[in-house]
Amino acid sequence: MIISYFAWLKEKTGKSTETLNNHSINDISKLVEYLSKKYPKLKKYLQEKDLIRFAVNSEYVTKNKKLKNEDEIGIFPPVSGG
Amino acid sequence: MIKITKKNFKIDKEIDFVRSKHSNIGAVSTFIGYVRNLNNKKKVKSIELEVYEKMAIKTLDKICNKAKNKWNLIDTLIIHRYGKIYVDEKIVLVATFSKHRKDSFQACKFIMDYLKKDAPFWKKENYKNSSSWLKNSKLKN
Repeated sequence: MIISYFAWLKEKTGKSTETLNNHSINDISKLVEYLSKKYPKLKKYLQEKDLIRFAVNSEYVTKNKKLKNEDEIGIFPPVSGG
Repeated sequence: MIKITKKNFKIDKEIDFVRSKHSNIGAVSTFIGYVRNLNNKKKVKSIELEVYEKMAIKTLDKICNKAKNKWNLIDTLIIHRYGKIYVDEKIVLVATFSKHRKDSFQACKFIMDYLKKDAPFWKKENYKNSSSWLKNSKLKN
């Protein structure tokens, strides 16, 4: 799966995109667990309730959303457009 | 019509282009967002707007369709810029086109409220010697 990070989250991960090929990551909760270990600087934000938003294939999703290996996942902070 | 663009735009030209496609428009309501020079007591020089373009197009298209189902609209137009934008420049235009004012007024507010809440754009403000992402005020990092 391809993960894209936006706004200040990129500064916590040090990258804007990455590809994961880990079949044990099959829902958003498992992805959060994986990313919290991989990026300690991101952990406290991922664990804060309703702060970080997730999109799968450009649709907002909740944490129990199942993931497929071909999914495109966007991870980002609250939006501030307009 | 949805446009995500780096370029500035002329409001009249954009509105007239949509109007030229329909002869039954009696009302156009618009919201225009600009970069202001002061935010949270800091002097702003410019902003950097980041967008998740693929998702922005999909979600704004969806909300325009919701608005069209809810009100009697003839057309909708959203232009949202990204990249570096200076103070006094336009950031966003939302325009709704209908026969009568009530539909265009209400639909314009509906679309803009959704855009502020859910459309995937993020602002970074540039000050004289620093910059900062706009974020939830309770958040510290």
